[in-house]
Amino acid sequence: MIARDRNWLLIFATCVALAIIYPFFAGGYQLTVIRDALIFGLFAASLDFFWGRTGILCFGHAAFFGIGGYIMALVTLNDAIPFGSLLGIMGAVAGAAFVAAIIGYFLFFGGIRGSYFTIVTLAMGVICQQAAVSWSSVTGGDSGLIGIPPIEFDLGGLHVDLSQDLPSYIFVSAIVAMTVLALWLISRGRWGTVLTAIQDNEIRAAALGHNAPLRLLVTFVLSAAIAGLAGALYVCMAGLVAPDLSGLLLSTEVIVWVAVGGRGTLLGPVLGAIFIQRAQQTISSFNPSLWPLLLGCVFVIIVFVLPDGILSIYARLKGLFKGRRRAQ
Amino acid sequence: MSDILLQAENVGIRFGGLQALEALNLTVRDKELCCIIGPNGAGKSTFLNVLTGTLRPTSGSVRFLGHDSAGLPLHRIARLGIARKFQIPSVFPNLSVEDNLKVARWGAPSPVRPVGELLELVALGNRAATLAGELAHGQKQWLEIGMALAIEPRLLLLDEPTAGMTPQETLATAQMLLRLKGEFSIVAVEHDIRFVRALNCETLVLHQGRRLRSGPFHDIESDEMVRDVYLGRR
Repeated sequence: MIARDRNWLLIFATCVALAIIYPFFAGGYQLTVIRDALIFGLFAASLDFFWGRTGILCFGHAAFFGIGGYIMALVTLNDAIPFGSLLGIMGAVAGAAFVAAIIGYFLFFGGIRGSYFTIVTLAMGVICQQAAVSWSSVTGGDSGLIGIPPIEFDLGGLHVDLSQDLPSYIFVSAIVAMTVLALWLISRGRWGTVLTAIQDNEIRAAALGHNAPLRLLVTFVLSAAIAGLAGALYVCMAGLVAPDLSGLLLSTEVIVWVAVGGRGTLLGPVLGAIFIQRAQQTISSFNPSLWPLLLGCVFVIIVFVLPDGILSIYARLKGLFKGRRRAQ
Repeated sequence: MSDILLQAENVGIRFGGLQALEALNLTVRDKELCCIIGPNGAGKSTFLNVLTGTLRPTSGSVRFLGHDSAGLPLHRIARLGIARKFQIPSVFPNLSVEDNLKVARWGAPSPVRPVGELLELVALGNRAATLAGELAHGQKQWLEIGMALAIEPRLLLLDEPTAGMTPQETLATAQMLLRLKGEFSIVAVEHDIRFVRALNCETLVLHQGRRLRSGPFHDIESDEMVRDVYLGRR
């Protein structure tokens, strides 16, 4: 256990170091590509915090990403609101958390778990996307909202202006690193241990005095809040928000990122998001319609063959060799 | 009679057309040890479910420290001071033995015993880092008793604590409970007669949902009717 913690911190430190040196070698465009991939990585980590620790899959996580994005866009595009960037981020986080709290309350306290939870959240994602398309007076309908300004605010004498490539890259990297570290600390401590216990046997955990539905709900709300934060960051970097950001495709993609990167590792999903988006760009340059097809295949393969992620191949091989050695 | 912890009066429960329990009375005093025995299908587990408040009786009442606990959420029942060990060992397989006990302590309103002491009490001192899923069956049962102890219960309800144990493990479990006797009340549901003999305590014999006999075990054991029921003659 302790060795595992050390390994995680080692990989984390390596990633942080790579993120620090990267700007010295990369140009502005490459920085923005990695920056956007990192935001999706944060989104993947938020899903992993819930899915990896509770074993319950949310199939509509993009809804929270989209809610965060739309709130950020509406707040910053409204000139009447002062401190738009800061208030927008806070509103995005709070809005996503609020929706998750309402939906989560009825699901968790109503005893909805497992595949039923997945199906209901799938519907929630579809509803959110549909709402974004239909409520065009506010959301801009299919074409979304454009012209969202970059993040800019003053905090304690520090002026933050993210209209340039390098500052925005640094800002996003720092937020992703701090959030992932914080989530990891929560997961390995008391909170995460009790969640593992609930995942193993919820009735038993309750019989020991743990309020399992409440704990699941708080975890879900925290996960949604971070997804909302990622959505808010993304729309400011991209400058636009559209219904796709809360759609089924993004919900599926984030699951694949987490599954490929390794569920329950928090860091793996961030790396998974970066690598898969890289692959997506390469493959889409041959043929744009190839990507969704490939993504679907990867998803099905992972669900059937590698439910614990690509990283589990290593553990399985190790187990196989161990078994062989024992057999000889 | 202020030392009465749990009182079940005239408890009956009906599942559709089946009268599963009928007119059962049980009084558990503070720090008392008692056993409920009976052949398969006698209603032992159902009665235990009624006692913990997970099943609401269709007639009669169950009061724990004077409160009606029927229908409370599980974690509230636990916080009243009722710990329960399930029939099938239900530990957390993906957590270490130590973490299992920690999770149990964290759920308690005011845990007293440190994890180290719990480990010693249930004879798992040298397995602290083992994943609970890798323990032998008997050790899982002990770990679960340890988890029940961790919440510092007023009342410990054990549902067939020795199911699937070897005779040696069964006796060790009985000795474990005898050591704990006097700290809190224990109600054990069992059908292993050797275990009940080793505990030698107040015993209630159920048969087809009704009280057949009750009294000290040595009286019960010599009772002709009880023997008949156990041997299947009636």
